[in-house]
Amino acid sequence: MATTTNYGWTTPDDTALVKDGASAIRTLGTSVDTTTKNLNPQTTLGDIAYRSSTSNVNTRLGIGTTGQVLTVSGGVPAWATASSGGMTLISTTAMTGASITLSSIPQTYKNLNLIIRNPLPANDNVILSMRFNGDSGTNYGYADTTNTTNTTDVHSGCILNIGQDNAVSEGMLDVKISDYTNAVSVKFVNSLFVGNNATTSSNWNITGYNCVWDDISAITSITLHYQSGNITSGSVLLYGVA
Amino acid sequence: MPTNKPQVTIVNAETGEEIIRDANAEELKQIAKDEADHKARIAKIEAKEIAKQAILDRIGLTADEAKLILG
Repeated sequence: MATTTNYGWTTPDDTALVKDGASAIRTLGTSVDTTTKNLNPQTTLGDIAYRSSTSNVNTRLGIGTTGQVLTVSGGVPAWATASSGGMTLISTTAMTGASITLSSIPQTYKNLNLIIRNPLPANDNVILSMRFNGDSGTNYGYADTTNTTNTTDVHSGCILNIGQDNAVSEGMLDVKISDYTNAVSVKFVNSLFVGNNATTSSNWNITGYNCVWDDISAITSITLHYQSGNITSGSVLLYGVA
Repeated sequence: MPTNKPQVTIVNAETGEEIIRDANAEELKQIAKDEADHKARIAKIEAKEIAKQAILDRIGLTADEAKLILG
């Protein structure tokens, strides 16, 4: 029996008898039907099909749920929940006392973002400082718009702000810590601050600091403290950034 | 029982468990060191201001006039 080139459907030979025509057409029709179904296994609205490991046989992939995206799993297409790329609130802590330490920071995010609302020091005009993994050595350098960090200008913590009033606090800090889980490079911190001026509290201090922690360890804990005196109040929100 | 010692707060970011306790000896030492660093920084700023004012007095300019020239 002759067969078609692509799908191997059986067709009558030139010498086949006319009386066998109906049977031959039925055989061909069945083959076409089977092949068409194998190539189009979808059954439901939104289904898609992809090639299986068997030639001329596709596999049905049912529609995913709202918000899912098409990805690859085990070498075949699959629906998966889309990565949001957003921020996850890890903890919220009221600030008071000599220091606040956020320990056991999850190591599952790309970056960390701290939002500090209304930080209020007990003393006027003091530095708010941040330390990592309990390191209080002079392993921190900073740069603002007028200062280039160098090996002789080192501190025992990242400087986050300075010149703040100790009676009024309507300000906030936005602190970004990049790639905090890597264990091969020093860590970089970028902080932006707006706060009430220590001399005239109705004036705003707007400052920005870039800080380096000269250590290649992954960051697992963060300590916040004022260089002089206690933290009166404030709240710190720790976000993980995917 | 509350004491007059500085209090430190440690929060487990994963579980939310919070411990508030007196600063231990090592932490008290660090607080004192931070305080000394703060005083040294203030003294340095004040010394710089005094030196700046002495120069302005010598050349007979006010701080605003000097800023105008340098700006």
